[in-house]
Amino acid sequence: MKHYKLILVENDDDERFFMKEEFEAFGAFEILGDFINGDTLVEYLEANPSAKPDIILSDLNMPGKNGYDIISFIKSDPQYARIRVVITSTSSVVSVREKCMAMGASDYLIKPEIFVDYGAYVREFYQKMEKLD
Amino acid sequence: MSFGRVLRFAGLVHSGLPFIIITIDMSQMQAILLESLPDAVFQLDNFGNIQYCNAAATVLTGYAQNELLGKPVSYLTPNQVDNFKTTYELNLATTNGILAVNGWHLTKEGRKYWGEVTYSTIRQASGEQLGFACIIRDITERKNEENALIENEERFRLLVEGVQDYSIYMLDVDGNIVTWNEGGQQLTGYLSSEVIGKHFSIFYNPNDLLAEKPARELETAKRTGRYDEEGWRVKKNGSVFWASIALTAVYNRENKLIGFSKVTKDLTEQNREEAALRQSEERYRLLVEQVIDYGIFMMDDKGRIASWNEGAKRIKGYDHKDVIGKYFSLFYPEEEIFNNKPAYELKIARRHGKYEEEGWRIRKDGSRFWANVVITAVYNADRVLVGFSKVTRDLTERKKAEQAEREISGKYRQIARELETINAELSRTNNDLEQFTSIVSHDLQEPLRTVKSFLHLITDRVEKGKFDELHVFVSKSVIAANRMKELIENVLNYSQVNKGQISMNSWPIDELLEHVTQNLKGTLDATGATIYIEKEAGEVVKGDKIQLTQLFQNLLSNAIKFTNGEKPFVRLRYGLENGTLRFSITDNGIGMDAASTKMIFDPFRRLHNARNYPGAGMGLAICKKVVERHQGRLWVESEPGVGSTFHFTLWETGPKPSTTHETL
Repeated sequence: MKHYKLILVENDDDERFFMKEEFEAFGAFEILGDFINGDTLVEYLEANPSAKPDIILSDLNMPGKNGYDIISFIKSDPQYARIRVVITSTSSVVSVREKCMAMGASDYLIKPEIFVDYGAYVREFYQKMEKLD
Repeated sequence: MSFGRVLRFAGLVHSGLPFIIITIDMSQMQAILLESLPDAVFQLDNFGNIQYCNAAATVLTGYAQNELLGKPVSYLTPNQVDNFKTTYELNLATTNGILAVNGWHLTKEGRKYWGEVTYSTIRQASGEQLGFACIIRDITERKNEENALIENEERFRLLVEGVQDYSIYMLDVDGNIVTWNEGGQQLTGYLSSEVIGKHFSIFYNPNDLLAEKPARELETAKRTGRYDEEGWRVKKNGSVFWASIALTAVYNRENKLIGFSKVTKDLTEQNREEAALRQSEERYRLLVEQVIDYGIFMMDDKGRIASWNEGAKRIKGYDHKDVIGKYFSLFYPEEEIFNNKPAYELKIARRHGKYEEEGWRIRKDGSRFWANVVITAVYNADRVLVGFSKVTRDLTERKKAEQAEREISGKYRQIARELETINAELSRTNNDLEQFTSIVSHDLQEPLRTVKSFLHLITDRVEKGKFDELHVFVSKSVIAANRMKELIENVLNYSQVNKGQISMNSWPIDELLEHVTQNLKGTLDATGATIYIEKEAGEVVKGDKIQLTQLFQNLLSNAIKFTNGEKPFVRLRYGLENGTLRFSITDNGIGMDAASTKMIFDPFRRLHNARNYPGAGMGLAICKKVVERHQGRLWVESEPGVGSTFHFTLWETGPKPSTTHETL
């Protein structure tokens, strides 16, 4: 089973908690860290140049640096550009998804209806990542 | 005549001598006589050698007597030894008894002279020839005169004969042709052999002949010295031509009529050219006269009207007869005439060849029209100013159209500007709508999802009989529900700012701020915050009381909220800047970086985590909307860790109701 180094970015503490639990339970993900927004993510990446994730899974709407800001930051810096950025949101608005993909996101996933149920979401996420390899 | 003289002299020598011979000493008498003669006289022997010469001969030839004796007579000519010629001439003289020849001679000094030489034989009574008497006379001068005269006549004859454009010939007193020239041949087709001796009436047509015109012409020329006319004449081939004729009586020195000179010129070609010119001029005149859109007329050099066309009549209302001869100042308004404008225009046209302007002119009925005027100085072929042409265009309609067009385009520009404003407003509204979509789909869903998620967990725990966590789940659900309520209220608030008319009453700033601080009393007390108000100028603020209250309240609560544990200290200053009210609210909060200052006015854009700094992220977006509706600007200066200052102005373009929607 292929393993991925993963970073989670989500401003809601509860949601982040349940997400993290489910990704860990799945067994194919090594969680390098979880952050409340892009600002704390960037701080971490700059402080730990050796610890590069394969994938950053980020919420779109967050105080401070949001999902769009994260895509721009990662894709504009050559040392991070190969990191996949996957955006996740409750919004199913097509234009939002298209904007993210246009900016360089690897995928856009709609969050589960309730955040206590990330099981199916994580399985789908893994399949999509495998396909991208 | 010279011949006659020689004969007389020959008689003297030959037959007149007996009278002298018998009375006195012949040889002495001969000698005296010969020596006294003014002509050079030589006695030659039968071979032409000089035996004797008189004194006049030595004067003429320059030789002394002894230098000439024994020399042949040819010694006096350029070819001194021309025996052949001398022998030949002497033989002729012997045969005829006398011979006169002319030829070049040379003096001793080498001077050339034209000599008239007369030889006559000298015979004894028995008939025996003793020799020749020879007389030489220097006729160089006469010869030169003759030659000059001949040359002159020859030149003149050639000149006359060579003239091609004029037929020039002489008539005798009866009108018969005696000379003919090239021009005559070309003009009439007759060769000189065909016309010489004919009467000049051959050039006349039958009508003129019937009227005895040729005779009358000669009579007139005889009487007055000259007859001139233009008329039809007939060529050899019978065709006619239009001729200009000058017949002049010619008299000799004795004032006796010896004939007539006749000069004839064919005017047909000239006629044709003149006709073409007239036709061309006529065409131009008609063209100009019929032009109706331009007033075109000519003036003399003084500015008096000399021609008038249809366009001038239409534009100015005057008929041809009204204006011809009048000064063109007729068309100028009184003040222009008073200013001497017409004269000035002519002066400029005279100096620069042209004068052009636009201005008011007067019609016959006294109405004004806006004219484009071009005055051009007109010169004849000798560069003498003969007058001016003036072209006038009535631009009144065009000006009116231009003005109307300007007005219309002004109106359209106004509409375009208004449309632009509406467009900008619409795209802003559209933008807002998009943000609303985003809010509804995300921001409002988020707390709902949170509530739903915890309800799910609660159900799960209840089913499993685990109740220890229920309290946390319920309280988190309540927080999320409150947050949702807050969001909905904010969205409503935000959408209300743009709606309908805002009231335009004036409110005392003191009162307004007092009201705001009362509203914030709970927060102020809880945080121990201080609000310090500095008033520089300004008593009242115009606008919507509810919106202005919300504006101050949002900015002040923001200033208090984002602190880093320190006691909030807020300074509110206001005053007039360039006549505009300006407020500044400075806090000692956490501040923000430059990138963040750009986005904080966007709806639902929270910079800081909701947990640490609660709020819907709508406060500043609402503030911005309120300020914009009050024709002002809102901006922020900030430094992370030091604090922020929010500035806003109101009514930058002066207080006026925001009515863009209503005007359209």
